[in-house]
Amino acid sequence: MKYKQAICLGALVMSSAALAEVNISGFASVVGGQVLEGSGVEEFGLEPTFLADYPLVGAYTEEISFEPDTLFGIQLSADLLEGLSATAQIVSRGANDFEADFEWAYLSYEFNEHWTVQAGKKRLPLYYYSDFFDVGFAYPWIRPPADNYTWQIFNYTGVSVLYNYLIGDWTLTGQAYFGREDDEPNKLLSEFFFGEPTREIWKDIGGIVAQLNYEWLDIRLTHMQYTNERYIGGEQVEWDGQTERDGKFYGLSVNIDWNNVLLLTEINRLTLQGDDLDTYLVTLGYRFGSVMPFVSYSDFDDGNEIHNTTSFGVRWDFHPSAAFKIQYDDVSDEGVGAGTEDSWRVAGDSKSISLGVDLVF
Amino acid sequence: MKTLINSILLCLCSMQVFAGVAVIVHPNNGDTIDKKAIENIYLGKTKSFPGGGQAVPVNLEGGPVREAFDSTVLGKSSSQLKSYWSQKVFTGKGTPPKEVASAEEVIGLVSSNPNIIGYIDSSQVNGSVKVIAEF
Repeated sequence: MKYKQAICLGALVMSSAALAEVNISGFASVVGGQVLEGSGVEEFGLEPTFLADYPLVGAYTEEISFEPDTLFGIQLSADLLEGLSATAQIVSRGANDFEADFEWAYLSYEFNEHWTVQAGKKRLPLYYYSDFFDVGFAYPWIRPPADNYTWQIFNYTGVSVLYNYLIGDWTLTGQAYFGREDDEPNKLLSEFFFGEPTREIWKDIGGIVAQLNYEWLDIRLTHMQYTNERYIGGEQVEWDGQTERDGKFYGLSVNIDWNNVLLLTEINRLTLQGDDLDTYLVTLGYRFGSVMPFVSYSDFDDGNEIHNTTSFGVRWDFHPSAAFKIQYDDVSDEGVGAGTEDSWRVAGDSKSISLGVDLVF
Repeated sequence: MKTLINSILLCLCSMQVFAGVAVIVHPNNGDTIDKKAIENIYLGKTKSFPGGGQAVPVNLEGGPVREAFDSTVLGKSSSQLKSYWSQKVFTGKGTPPKEVASAEEVIGLVSSNPNIIGYIDSSQVNGSVKVIAEF
């Protein structure tokens, strides 16, 4: 057996044999939670609700539930040698009735140590945590702050080019991508916002990401633009007499991991038809060995839809591959026109508790 | 409390079990490889030795030598490293070093391939490999 492993590794290193090695890895989160106290939104007939995951409409109510944040993911990666590999990620989520879907499916080709090209279906790397949103083990909270991660489109099909340079003590990594997404029916828009089957198209998605990393400091800059088309109940939506509108997204994230202090910050702006949709988050944590308490604040404001969340939580790494988390979230929904027909509220105020385990394998 | 004392004792015991961590390469590898370079190679920040040759790191599967290497050389706990690699693995941006089960396997790989870098308990070093750093 030892001999076999050595041959396998040797072959991989020398890239000489036509031998495909398939790696299986995965992640899982089992989370339960409930709303302790909430206003609901009377004008929509919505009971007290904590919308924890916008894109998938993962929502807690006053009854304990496990569906909103519980998920299982399996990744299969076939190394075809000579720099070529094929990867698929299958994710089953409680928020989607545990239907298993291919979230990722792409081919990857490594030109050299610095440049890799990937083609297929991937997660849209909009925010800092977007492309590992499902991997709870990789961040402190139960889920990335909901006020920031509100976008209805989170996957795309296309091409991306990844780069990776080591410059002195700094690493410069990032990617440029191009693609589109045609989502029908879009879950967030259909089930939560419009109450009718909605087809959401983001076309000509083009973006760049640059990430600078120095030991304890991590800075990420991104820009993305796309053209939006939408059909509600089969009817094409027009905005100011146009069937298309352009969105431009800008994001800056600065993270510090210094000794036992963890500071995570992110600030983003989406400009859509002259409107600015602003989001930001700040999280501060302190590691006491394997236990890390944290406080977090996140905010969404587009002038009409306005909400924020204050969170307190603890992450405990009780096992090298598993973390226990408990988190309290206090959501304040300050959407304009509360109680009227033109209300911009989303899910109202709420105070919730959730706890669970994240693991990777 | 008892568990805490036990785990402290266990830590102390396991520290006594090995002499130190020796980072090893093929005897023909003439590069000067400092701690920072080792860290960059093991965290996937570079795939080359400082001299330009391809660098392929090999990890031990677990145990006191692995733990000492992770905390002393990489400056991270095993969960921090798991978290770091899970970000890369599940976004298609990198894969962690291959793991092998024993020091003999590390020596076998390192002594037969100039691209491979590994680490073992200092007491297990033999003439077929070159020690570039000890921690």
